[in-house]
Amino acid sequence: MRRRRAGWQFALPGILILLGTIAFPLGYALVVSFTGYSFLAPRFEPWVGLQHYVRGFQDPYFVNAIWRTGVYTAFTVGLSLVLGLAFAVLLHQPVPGREIYYSVLSIPMLISPVGVSLIWKMILHPELGIVNYAMTSIGLPRVDWLGNPRYALFVVGTIDVWQQVSLVTLVLLAGLRSMPVEPLEAATVDGATRFQRFFLVTLPILRPVIGIVLILQSIIELRTYDLIYVLTKGGPGSSTDLLAYFIYRTAFRGLDLAQASALAYVLLFMTMFLVVFYFRSVYRST
Amino acid sequence: MRFRWLIAALVLGLSAAFAQNVTLRALMEDVPETHIIEALLPQFEQSTGINVEFEIVQYSAMHDKLVTQMLSPTNTYDFLQVDFLWAGEFPSAGWLEPLQPYVDRTNFDLSPYLPSMLDLVGYYQGKLYMIPMYNYAMGLIYRTDVLQDPALQQKYQEQFGRALGLPQTVQDYVDTSVFIARNAGMSGVAMQGQRGDPNFLEFANYLFGLGGGFADENWNVTLDSPEGRQAMALYARNIQNAAPTGALNFNLDDTYRIMCQGQAWSFVSYWWMLPQLDNAQECPNVAGKVALAPMPGGHGVAGGWGWGIPHNSAHKDAAWQLIQWVESPAIVKARALQGHAPTREDAFTDPDVLAKYPYYADVARIVESSMSVPLFQFTAQMEEDLGREISEASAGTKSSDQATQDAARALQQLFQRAGLE
Repeated sequence: MRRRRAGWQFALPGILILLGTIAFPLGYALVVSFTGYSFLAPRFEPWVGLQHYVRGFQDPYFVNAIWRTGVYTAFTVGLSLVLGLAFAVLLHQPVPGREIYYSVLSIPMLISPVGVSLIWKMILHPELGIVNYAMTSIGLPRVDWLGNPRYALFVVGTIDVWQQVSLVTLVLLAGLRSMPVEPLEAATVDGATRFQRFFLVTLPILRPVIGIVLILQSIIELRTYDLIYVLTKGGPGSSTDLLAYFIYRTAFRGLDLAQASALAYVLLFMTMFLVVFYFRSVYRST
Repeated sequence: MRFRWLIAALVLGLSAAFAQNVTLRALMEDVPETHIIEALLPQFEQSTGINVEFEIVQYSAMHDKLVTQMLSPTNTYDFLQVDFLWAGEFPSAGWLEPLQPYVDRTNFDLSPYLPSMLDLVGYYQGKLYMIPMYNYAMGLIYRTDVLQDPALQQKYQEQFGRALGLPQTVQDYVDTSVFIARNAGMSGVAMQGQRGDPNFLEFANYLFGLGGGFADENWNVTLDSPEGRQAMALYARNIQNAAPTGALNFNLDDTYRIMCQGQAWSFVSYWWMLPQLDNAQECPNVAGKVALAPMPGGHGVAGGWGWGIPHNSAHKDAAWQLIQWVESPAIVKARALQGHAPTREDAFTDPDVLAKYPYYADVARIVESSMSVPLFQFTAQMEEDLGREISEASAGTKSSDQATQDAARALQQLFQRAGLE
């Protein structure tokens, strides 16, 4: 009994900090989402129940933002996983100067997303950027990288992947390094090809690490805001209007904190759903 | 008697000591105007002992920073530069100090201010909340050398049956810029098509130039009208056929760079862009070849900034002291002589100012004929919603008629939310 009480006493400071920093803001936002709270009238009245949630789903632009965010997350998480895995496998080989590759690969991860956006904004500038300059100098036409509604979302996504792939590579490389060598040696002795060893031995063993990467990356990508703010402001049209940017606009341009809180909860539930789904699939398979 | 002198000396000494400790802070936009004022500030600091610090940022970062400060018990900023687009939102939220008592107490003279500027960034619902600081009405800035090109003149005459010249209507303007884009080896127009503030304000010039409007005086939405639909169609046509690649995502800085490098014939922009482009050191390709005219059709968008004092400022009296100084006739003239965009009639008619900047006469015309977009609690949201529809029409993802209809519906919803209908 005494040991149990002591355990609670040791845990109490941590629990209080967690309550203050996580539970309170979450609870506050939840309460706000059921009221008419706005920056113009910062009061918890009137009580409107689920009205803001219903209104959100009745708004075609919010539904569009959910759809775009889903496409964006699938694209960026998928591409960064494929590229990260390829880089991790290559760096796992005994190549000379591996430390230099590590350092270069880590650079994008160290730059702030706003910095990354500004760098790429100039590189991809349709009239003054170096990419279009190089393309036109070899006779190719100019490309409107961020101004074409058909592919602006994927261009932003590729910039995002450029930054995120470092983290994915490092995590997967750590997974590869900590992998037991015996299964691979046994597969080699049994005459498995390199292709078979990778897909039938390495990948299944890496599966929990890939699961963690998927969870981390999905959380990061679902909340993408800064790239959109700097690069496109949600345009052209509504082609890059992602959820986090939509919520920001509702709060700070529309001054409607209650509506923004409700929409933020929708985003939170989407993220939690994905995380739970990944956890269940990873743990079921292992 | 000696006792009274002692008290007076003590009060003076204390107030001087307190004044020396006061540091006024303001969030300012990174535009030439701010740097002109910043260079003059030592005069104010020396004469009053009050220090002034400017935090200079890009326009797009200002609104959100200010909103969060206004909601705090105390404000980091002691006085404000308030954009006309927030001139409905800030007073209606109770975030600005009414200034009439300060004006009355110090006999501050409001009569030199242009009435249109006082309406735009002075009064809100009959109460004075801001002192007009500078104007940024929009007009047409164009390359004179392109219009004088004999080969282009001949081709234009053959195609349209009239002489190539400064367009008088919005339809003429779009025809001319498309013609130039196809025949002059440059873009016809540098457009700021980025969704939100840039494309909304640019579009409003087309709308006003065609005689249209967003709403009548009773807040009934009038955007979905023949003029509104034509404005949307012409705006989309210009951006699709006469603007540089990427204009759908351009902001003000992009259009300036394009014009400065001589890659476009014209742009609809803030008049104070003219001295920047006419500067041979900054823009050698176009300096001496640019001119300013009112928006074709006669009306462009009114724009301006006002000085305000936040309700939660810790140094309201010192802030008012600064506003009085920066808006005094001598400082206004000093600012105007460095390219300041005046809001007072005396600055526009000053012989020294006109001798240095003869085009100020055109600016006065542009300011007087300019029209305001609706100013109310949700003007910032209006820019976002309407900017989205303008962007849809520009990108071709919606027809211009559909985009106009959806924009009008979004505007009506905002008016309803604001309780204006």
